[in-house]
Parts: sequence; C-alpha cells; structure tokens
Amino acid sequence: MKKTKRLFACLTLMAFSLSTAHADYTLNLMKGSTKISNDVYDLHMLILWICVFIGAAVFGVMFYSMYHHRKSRGHKAEQFHENTTVEIIWTVIPTLILIAMAIPATKTMLELDDVKDAQMSIKVTGWQWKWEYDYLDKGIHFFSSLDDASNQVRQVGSGIDPRSVPNYLLNVDKPLVVPVKTKIRFLFTAADVIHSWWVPELGWKKDAIPGFINEAWTSVDKPGTYRGQCTELCGKDHAFMPIVVVAKEQADYDAWVQKTKDEMAQGSDLSDQKQDDLVAKGAAIYVKNCASCHLPGGEGVPGAFPAITKSSVVTGDINVQANLILNGKGMMPAFGKMLNAVELAQVITYTRNALGNAVGDEIQPKAIKVLLPEGSGTIASAKEPVKAETVDASVKLSLDELVAKGEAVYTTNCAGCHQEDGAGLAGTFPAITASAVAKGDMTKQIDLVMKGKGMMPGFATTLNAVDFAAVVTYTRNALGNKVGDFIQPAEIQSLLAKAPKD
Amino acid sequence: MAAVAEHDHDHEHHDHGPAKGILRWIVTTNHKDIGTLYLVFALAMFFVGGSMAMIIRAELFEPGMQFVEPQFFNSMTTMHALVMVFGAVMPAFVGLANWMIPMMIGAPDMALPRMNNMSFWLLVAGVLMLASTLFMEGGAPAGGWTLYPPLVLQTGAALPFAVFSVHLLGISSIMGAINIVSTIFNMRAPGMTLMKMPLFVWTWLITGFLLIAIMPVFAGGVTMLLTDKFFNTSFFDAAGGGDPVLYQHIFWFFGHPEVYVMILPTFGVASTIIPVFARKPLFGYSSMVYATASIAFLSFIVWAHHMFTVGLPIAGELYFMYSTMLIAIPTGVKVFNWTATMWKGSMTFETPMLFSIAFVVLFTMGGLTGLMMSLAPLDFQYHDTYFIVAHFHYTLVPASVFILMAAGYYWLPKWTGHMYNEKIGQLHFWLSAISVNILFFPQHFLGLAGMPRRIPDYAVQFADWNMISSIGGFIFGASQLLFLYIVIDTIRGGTGEKVTDEVWEDAAKHGLEWTLPSPVPYHTFATPPTLIPTEHI
Repeated sequence: MKKTKRLFACLTLMAFSLSTAHADYTLNLMKGSTKISNDVYDLHMLILWICVFIGAAVFGVMFYSMYHHRKSRGHKAEQFHENTTVEIIWTVIPTLILIAMAIPATKTMLELDDVKDAQMSIKVTGWQWKWEYDYLDKGIHFFSSLDDASNQVRQVGSGIDPRSVPNYLLNVDKPLVVPVKTKIRFLFTAADVIHSWWVPELGWKKDAIPGFINEAWTSVDKPGTYRGQCTELCGKDHAFMPIVVVAKEQADYDAWVQKTKDEMAQGSDLSDQKQDDLVAKGAAIYVKNCASCHLPGGEGVPGAFPAITKSSVVTGDINVQANLILNGKGMMPAFGKMLNAVELAQVITYTRNALGNAVGDEIQPKAIKVLLPEGSGTIASAKEPVKAETVDASVKLSLDELVAKGEAVYTTNCAGCHQEDGAGLAGTFPAITASAVAKGDMTKQIDLVMKGKGMMPGFATTLNAVDFAAVVTYTRNALGNKVGDFIQPAEIQSLLAKAPKD
Repeated sequence: MAAVAEHDHDHEHHDHGPAKGILRWIVTTNHKDIGTLYLVFALAMFFVGGSMAMIIRAELFEPGMQFVEPQFFNSMTTMHALVMVFGAVMPAFVGLANWMIPMMIGAPDMALPRMNNMSFWLLVAGVLMLASTLFMEGGAPAGGWTLYPPLVLQTGAALPFAVFSVHLLGISSIMGAINIVSTIFNMRAPGMTLMKMPLFVWTWLITGFLLIAIMPVFAGGVTMLLTDKFFNTSFFDAAGGGDPVLYQHIFWFFGHPEVYVMILPTFGVASTIIPVFARKPLFGYSSMVYATASIAFLSFIVWAHHMFTVGLPIAGELYFMYSTMLIAIPTGVKVFNWTATMWKGSMTFETPMLFSIAFVVLFTMGGLTGLMMSLAPLDFQYHDTYFIVAHFHYTLVPASVFILMAAGYYWLPKWTGHMYNEKIGQLHFWLSAISVNILFFPQHFLGLAGMPRRIPDYAVQFADWNMISSIGGFIFGASQLLFLYIVIDTIRGGTGEKVTDEVWEDAAKHGLEWTLPSPVPYHTFATPPTLIPTEHI
C-alpha cells in the first residue's frame, strides 16, 4: 500500500509541475496571444488531463495487480476469461469520452478554418531558405532571412557560443510587421520545395506548397514579438529560416508602413563604385546569400552545388553570369528578385575577384539595373524572358559567316551549361561535341532549341532569327563537329512564326 | 501431380540435416534457417540504424553545429528511419514469423520455401543498395524517409538507387507476406481452426494482407518520383499540371498501414507472452482478433491525419479527425485485455515478461499522445515538432523493439537449447527501460515548447532537454550491446543449464512450439500434431 501511495504522490507532483510550467516556456504548449491559440491551448490541456487520467487508471490497475497478484506472494492464478459485460463497458466508455473530445475539437477546427472577412492580406512565399512577404494591399514587399549573428554562429565548427547571441536561430533581418486586433488573412505558397510557416503563439502552422495557395488567418491581441520556424523539412538549411512577427498598435503600424514605403520609393544610389569597394562589400552579401550552398570558400559540394572557384561561369562572360544570377537556374533561385542592383553588382564582382578567382573585371550597379526589370528588389516576377530584338531576317549568310556569328551567340547563351568547348558536364549537361542531336537531323535540333527540354530553356523568344540560325550552324560546324550543313535566318523566321508563343 | 509424387519418393526416408558450410545459409529453404538469417540481419541493421541515431543525438547534444554538415544530418535522419523500418523492425518480425508460424500451427515448413529464400536475399540486396547511397556523389537521400517531392527530387546520384531499393524491399515484403498468408491458410494441423490459432499467427495473417495491399502503392509512388525526375512527367510538379500533395496522399495511404505492419505482430507477441507469465489464459481471445482486424481496417481510411496542415478542405479535416479518433477504441480494447489477463494471475517477472509489461505501459503512453494529435486543431500545433518524434518513437522503440527483445528472450532457449543469463537479461531490461524514457520523454516537452523536428541545430531554450535526451540516447544505445552479448553467449551455451522442452512453466498449454524438443530439430512436424493446445483462447 505504501508503494501505491508513493506512486500517487509522484503522479500528483508531475501533474502539478505540468499545470504551472507554461510560464517558463520549456515544458508545455504556449498559451499564445490570439483567441485561437488560447482555444487550442485550452483544448490541449483538457485532452492532456483526460489522457493523464486514463493513463493513471490503467497503470494503477496494472501496478496494483503486479504487486499483489505475483507468484512470489503465493497468489494462485484464477482461470477466468471472456466477460461480455466488462468488454461492452470498456468499449462504450471510451466511445463516450471520444465524443466528448470531438465536440470542442470540431468547434475549434471550424474557427481555425474561417478566413472570411479579413481586413488585410499578406502573401507568404517560402524559399530555400528564407521567407518572402507581400503586403497585398500596401505594395510592401521584402525578404526575411536569418540574422547575421546567428548565421555566423551556426556554421559548423564556428566555435562561438550560441548563448552569446540573443534569440539564436529565432531572429531575422527584417521581421513581418502586423497591426494588432486586425483580422489578417495569410496566403501561403512556395517557390521551390514545400515549407511550413509556424509561429506557436499564433496557434497554428500552415504548409507553403509550390504551385498552390493555402489560407490561414490570425488576429493578434497584444503588441509584441512572436518567433517561430519553418517546420517542413526543406533541405540543408531547414533549421535556419526562422519567422519573426512583430505586432504593433495601429498607429505604430501605420508609421512603419509609411517609413517602409518611403525607403522603397527612394531606391538605392546607383553611382559607380571602385572595384575594391565592390569586392569588399560583396563579401558579406556572398556569405549571407551564396555561402550556404557554394560554401564560404567557394568550393561547392560535388554532385550537389557547383564550385565558384575556377567556375567557367564566374570566370567567363560577366553578362552571362549576371543573367544566371538574376534569373536563377535549376535549384538556384532568381536573385534578381531578392537583391537590389547595388548588392548584385557587389556580389558578382566579388565572386570574380575573390574565392580563388582573379578575372579582374567588374560590373556596375547601372549595368545591373539595365538587366533588371522595373523596380529592382521589389518586382513581382523577374523571370520575364528577354524579348528578342527585331532584325532583318532576309539576309543571306555563308556558312563561315554564320559560324563566326554563332560563336558569340553560343558563348552568351549556351556555354554556361554546355561549356565553352562543347564538352558539357558529365551527368548534368550533355556535350555538343559529337552529340547525336547536333550531328543528326537539323529540323529536330532546331525544334529542340526552340522548345527546350527538361532543364534546357526554349530559345524561341530569346534569340532573334539571325542569332538562332548562326548558333545552330555553329554547333553543327564547330566544337569538334563537321556536319557541313547550315540554315538561313529566313527559314528560322518562318519556323519561329509557327512556333507557339509560350 | 504424379511426377511430383514420384520425385518426392526418391528422397523419402532420409532425414537430412542442414547442408555443410557457408552454402547452408545461401541456398537454404528451411524456415528455421531463413528465420535465423532474417533475425541476424535485422539485429545487424538495428545497430547500423542505431549508430545513425547516435550521430543525430551527438549533434543535438548542444546548440550550435559541432560535428556534421546540415545536409549530412538530414541524410542521417532519413537513413536512420529507412534502415530501422525496412532493415530492422520489419525483417525482425518476418524472421519471427518464419521461425514460429510453422511451429505454432503444426506445419513442417513454410508453404513456399524457395520463394522464402529469395525474399530474404532480395531484402539484403535492397538494404545494401540503400546503404550504398551514403557513398555517392551528392550524398544519401536527405529529404526525410517520407521522400516528399519536390525536395527529394533535389537528391543527387542517390535518387534512382533509393527508388530501386524501395522496389526491391517492396518485392521482398510482398513475397514474404504471400508466403505467410498461404502458409497460414494451407498448412495448419488438423483441428487448428482459424479461431484456435495463437494470436501471433492471427496478427501476422492480418499484417500479411496489409503488406500485400500497401507495398505496390508505395512502389507506384516512388516510381512516379523517378519518372518526374528523369522522364519529364509532372505527377508532382504544379508547373506541369501535377500536385506535390498527391505524393503525400499516396505515401500515407501506404505509410499509415505501414506503421501498423510494425505494431500488429507486436500485439501478437505480447498476447503470447503475457498469459504464460501470468499463468492465466488471455482474457478475451476473440475480442483481440476482432480488435486487430478493426485496427487494420481503420488504418486504410485515416491516412490524411499525417497531412492536417497541407490545406485539406474542412470536410476532409473533420472526417480524418473522427476516423482517426476511432482507432482509440480497438486499441483500448487491447490494452484493457492485457491488463485483465494480468489481473488475479500468478505473475513472475522473467526478462520476456518485463519487456512485455514495459511494452504495454509505454505503448499506451504513445497511444495517448496519438489520441491527442488525432484532434486536428491540436495537430496544427503538434505537427512536425518533437512532440510527434516522441509519440512515434514511443510506439516504435519501447513498443515494437521491446517486444522483439521480449520475443528474443522468450524463444532463444527453444531455438538454441540453452538458457540465457537471466541476471544480465534483467540488467539489459532495466537499463533499456529507464534510458528509453530519459531519451524520449523530454522530447514531448521540446515539441510542445516549439522545437521542430529534423533540425540539426536549435534555439538555446531547448538546450537542457536536448542534452538530457542525448544522454538517455547514449545509455540506451550502449545498453543494446548487452543484448548482442547475451544472444552470442546463449548460442554458445548460455548458463550451461539444460532447458526442458517447455522452458517456461506450463508453456506447452499455450503453444505447440513448446511440445517440441529444445533445441528444435532441423525438421519438425513432418507428421502433424494431434493435440491442439487451446489455453491461449
């Protein structure tokens, strides 16, 4: 009897510590700062207590039996089994408990799902590995990523004590600012893989899925800073894309909106900078935006992320590199959306003159600005293809003229993947040299280049007829190929006219 | 038929033992040999998957990144799960089925012995291929064992190998399941009606049907990943008209019954062991059978409770919430049954019984947290946090793994003819039972406090519980070496004590296997037994 008593005391103590623990944050769910999160918390506590009660009852019977009905105490086994009454009782009682649980759960679920009558909307886009926020009715737009202090500490073997950083891994450069006591509708989507947006004190999480829009809502009661994290595994830096929501009183919020709009309208200073300055400032931008994949030393990860050091893209034509960084490719996101012209110029110049590269050239913010569509850093979509300029397609060119012209076109448009010498990259980009496509039926090759395939983009809208004819002819009569045929711009023009536009 | 009969006649009357040398293990069609192969392989994979868990817990011992790159950490969480599920727990139960089902139903061997051999070696091939991805360019799969697209499509050279290894493992499981089902339906001794079968046989019969139903679905799902990656399809790519969430529906239609594949045979073993050591018949045999069948049925209609936050329509959220809650009823029936079986028994607490009791207690805790997360609005908080990690580890480690340990201690004397060292066995139990709770109980707190799962580094307020959890993990990992020692020691002679045929007091009343000599001869029940024990009913 003494043992059962002690057990009971132990359980009471455990239960007591649970009910008082929410204050110090580490044992239980947070009550949070919205009505929903409070409802969820209350429901959680209700179910938790029911479970503790069921557990205590079942285990109590078991431990009583284990103590008293043991052979060493001389207890003789009774041989009873099957008792319909008992079996009906222990089926019906749980059913009733479940119904009692389902009623409040259904109520909270319906409440959670009701996004009607929202006063404002914010679109949240998950990226590998940062969040993008669009205030749909305010025109405010920015990216939010892990703060620099945490980012330094979290590098493998940094040796810095995470406790020295306030809010380690739960702090961002630009938090999401919202007004209190306002019903806000969130729209979730993602740019690459699935992410999930969770701030525990708002009471829910919601997946951000590429190609789909999910909805959720909140209305924050008190001003304050609320922190959360991505909760759907989204690649190597899944742990490093926190969420910070700052809730402000309406007046403070309005002031923030005004200030942010002013900053955005002002834009950045696009005047030319010295190469050394560009490189110096580019280093920090590299660490923040590029180093997590291409690594701080630029060596990349074989098989996953290409090296920057001695890369043919970085040491090749600067405009090709700029285009790739602005528009993205494969897993690499389009940075034309995330960085402004100055930052892009700095980081591009940095990669060409550091990390084991010494190309010696530079690109100025103004040159980037030309490549960027209107309003750098805040544009809705940077992936608008560059429109082919109109040219006179009726010119007749010889094979040699086409090959000569094609070389430049190839360097700008194809060499980034298929390499300058046409050898491609084994396993990723097919070779042009001795390729069955470049040596086979020309109409099939033209069709492929126009429409693209897999990772390869279609060039129907990006190349004009002359360049198109030149580059096709070039691939068939250079880079180790010698097919001997060629095509005139006029023929391409007529094929382009037939090709579907996007 | 005549030809077969004549061929059989040639071999009649010489009861040949096992082939000599290493070839015995490669070409064997004997259910006991194949059972041993499965069990040894599963134990080896338990240590491989366990080492990966040790790497995970070492990195999480303190905040900050100390030992591994985040990408490798993700590979470890992914491979730990895949190896433990497909390499350790499932094969271990197939091994038990191979060893015990023919002996429990009075059959001379499995119904399809050659296919039995093939399904084992396909398993080895599949797991080796999966393990080989660790050494490939771009690393092993790192998108989680659920292999969700689009993330998993970013895997390097490993993706096609991972997909093909899933195919191999699937074929192996289906063949194993077909073999078990056909053995149970066709090879029972006269008088062994379905409702007189031991519960372990019943639970495996139901599990066999689950496997046959779900493995092709999973194989189909991963094949769609393969074609999305290499053949320009867009099943899961919204840009091509597909849907990434479609994969999750396919996966969990497989995945939810899959977790019951790992727990139903566990129920069967517990229902076999507890009555023997309580010296009482199982309280409700038929209600246990019906509860198992209900759980199996429900497992097919609850899958989207793994997906409450993907943006299901409200009707879907509510339907999957209600159907999931229903599982608590048959599961409750099981727990109450085990408790009632112990009630007014005459219990002794040898190692198999200790592990079985720990299973009932700790599995119930995992079940109760499962009930909490069945409530959709609560799952909006719990989902993808350490609360979930704690929940499913409670239903897998101190449940499935503990019962596998219990089964090992329970049947090792029968298999080897030697008694294991009870003292070391109990030491193994207490170390495991205490450390497993130090390992997983704090993870409930971490999850509720806001720590997401599958992260290599965390905010400092999670530091204390993570350190405690890691310490528990290291003790638990090291304790399992004791089990390895006991198994080897028992095979080599154990305590030296000659065990009886029954091994455990009055065990022969509970199962046919205890009517056979210890150690079990290479061939058993060449003629079917005449008396069927019905004490378990």
